[in-house]
Amino acid sequence: MSATTLVLTRVRVRTHLGLVVRVALILAALALVALPLVFGGDVWAQRVSRAAIYAVIGLSINTLTGHAGQISLGHQAFVGIGAFSSAFMASRLGAPFGFGLAGAALAGTVTALIVGMVALRVKGLYLALVTLAFGLTAETTIFNWREFTGGGAGAFAPRSALVESDLAYALLCLAVLVVVLYTDWRLVSTKAGRALTAVRNDERIASTLGVDVTGYKLGAFCFSGLVAGLAGGLFAHWNQVVQALDFEFQVALLWVLMAVVGGLRSRLGIVIASSFFALLPLVLPNFLAGLPWQPPFLNEAVYHVLPPFLVVLMLLVVLRFFPGGIGQLLAPVTRFVKGAKR
Amino acid sequence: MLRADGLSLRFGGLQVLDDLSLTVGEGRIVGLIGPNGAGKTSCFNCLTGIYQPQAGRVSFDGRDVSRLPTHRRAAAGMARTWQNLGVIDSLTVTENVMLAQHQRTGYSAVAGLLGLGGTWLRERELRRDAAEIIDYFGLGEVAGVRASELPYGVRKTCDMAMALASDPKMLLLDEPASGLSPEEAHDLAGTLRELRDRLRLTILMIEHHVPLVAEVCDYVYVLNFGRLLTEGRPAEIQRHPEVIAAYLGGAAATAEGGEDGTA
Repeated sequence: MSATTLVLTRVRVRTHLGLVVRVALILAALALVALPLVFGGDVWAQRVSRAAIYAVIGLSINTLTGHAGQISLGHQAFVGIGAFSSAFMASRLGAPFGFGLAGAALAGTVTALIVGMVALRVKGLYLALVTLAFGLTAETTIFNWREFTGGGAGAFAPRSALVESDLAYALLCLAVLVVVLYTDWRLVSTKAGRALTAVRNDERIASTLGVDVTGYKLGAFCFSGLVAGLAGGLFAHWNQVVQALDFEFQVALLWVLMAVVGGLRSRLGIVIASSFFALLPLVLPNFLAGLPWQPPFLNEAVYHVLPPFLVVLMLLVVLRFFPGGIGQLLAPVTRFVKGAKR
Repeated sequence: MLRADGLSLRFGGLQVLDDLSLTVGEGRIVGLIGPNGAGKTSCFNCLTGIYQPQAGRVSFDGRDVSRLPTHRRAAAGMARTWQNLGVIDSLTVTENVMLAQHQRTGYSAVAGLLGLGGTWLRERELRRDAAEIIDYFGLGEVAGVRASELPYGVRKTCDMAMALASDPKMLLLDEPASGLSPEEAHDLAGTLRELRDRLRLTILMIEHHVPLVAEVCDYVYVLNFGRLLTEGRPAEIQRHPEVIAAYLGGAAATAEGGEDGTA
C-alpha cells in the first residue's frame, strides 16, 4: 500500500517538474526575443523587425514549398510588388498605413494567382524555371516602372504616427509574425493541411479522396502570395525607402535556402533560420571587425562577403547531415515541450 | 448505380479499352476480372475520372458524370482503393482517415485557416469518427503510427478504412485481396458483405482471387484485351470455355499484350 502511494507521488512530482521545465523553456525563448527589444535600443528594434519580416517570408515559402510541394524561385517578385504597392499607396495616394499593408497583401495575392495559373501546367524543374523567369521579368519591368517605383531613387514609404518609433514597428512586425504562425498552425491541423499533404504526395490519390487538386494548388499560391505581399509591405515601411535593388534574384534564392535550412514544415525551425539569415549580414561583419585581434590579410571587406559563404556552407551541412533542417535538430525539444510521450 | 456505356480508351496506338459497357446495380457486389493487362485498372481510372476516355459515357447515381473531374465524382459518393495503395506515407493512420473525410468536413479551407470557432469542434468530431472507423477495422493499435512504418497488410486495411471514411455510396476496390492469406481473404468476403448489408454500399471490385470472387460477387464481368469477353453469375463464368482459355491457354497472348493499363 505504502509502496503504491510512494510510486504515485513520485510520478506526480516528476510530471510537475516536467511542466515547470517546459514553462521555463518557453519563457526563456520568449525572453531571448524580448531581450534585444528592451535593452538594444533602436538599432536592435530595427534588427528584430527585419528578423520578423524574414520569418514571415520564410513561412510564406513554407506554405508553397513545404505544404503544397511547389517550388518558387520568384518570391522576390511577390514581396517586391507588395513593398512597392504599399509605398505607392502611402506616399502617392496618401492612404492610411493599414490600407497600404492590405493593398500590399492584395497585390501579392493577385500576382501569385497569375503565376499559379501558369504553374498548374508545369511541375518540378519547369516550375522552377517558370517562377525564376517570372521573378526576373518582374525585376526588369514592374520594378523599373518609374511612376510606380520611383526609379533609381526608390519610393518613399513613411510610417504612420502609431508605429513611428522603431520599437513600435518591431512590435507590429512581431504581431504579424504571430498571426502568420497561427494560420500556419491552423492550416496543418485542419482539412487544408491534410489535403495539401495528399496533393504533395500523390495528386491522383488526393483527387479520388475528393480533394480539388487545382483549387488547392491555386489556394496555396494565393495564400503564399498574400503573406509574401504583406511581408513586402512591412519591409517597405521598415526601411522607409524601397528600391528595386532590394529585390534582386539573389534574395529569392536566399529565402528558399532559409526555408530549407530551417526545415520545411517546421515553424520554429524556419523562424530561427530566417532570423539568423536576416541578422547575419548586419551583425557578423561588425562583430568581427570589432575584435581586438585581426588575422593578417583579412579586412572588413572580406567580412562582408562572409555571410553568403556561411549560408551556402550551412545549406551543405543541412543537406548532408540533417535534411529536416533546424526543425529536425529541435524535434526532441519541441516534443518535450508539447509533453508528448517518447 | 453505376453505368458505363461504350468506353474506349487509347494510349497512342494502344487500344486499352474498346467499347466497354458495364452496369452495377445498387446494393450489388460486382467483380471485374481478366488477365494481366486486360485494362481493368484503366477501366477504374475512366470510371473515377482520372483518365478521360476518347469515347463513352459514365453515369453514376442517376446522373451523367462523364465530364466531371475526379474530385467531383468522389464528392458524388465514389470511393476507390488502389492496387498499389492509396495511403499517404507521411501521415499517420488517423490522419489518413481524416484526410479521407475531406469532403464531409463541413467547413471551408479558409475557415480552418483562420481557426474559426466551428472548425475546432468539427475537427474533434471528425477525429472521433475516424477513431470509430479505425476501431472497426482493428487498426486501433497503430492509429498514431505513420503509414510508411506499417507492413503491407495493415496499409491495405488502412486504404480500405479511408475509402469508407469518405462516406461513399459506392466502393471501387482494386484487388482488395492481393497479398492476403486465404483466411484473410475469407474474412474480407465477410467484411464486404457486411458493408453492403449494413451501409447499403454498392461494390465493384477487380480481383484475381477466384474463391473470393465466387463467394461474394453477384455478377462478374470478364475483360480481355480491353474488350468484354463475357459476363454472368460467378458459377457460369467459372465454366465458360473462353474464360478458361483466356486465363490458362492465353498466357502467351497476355505476355504479348504488354504491361498497359494496370499501372
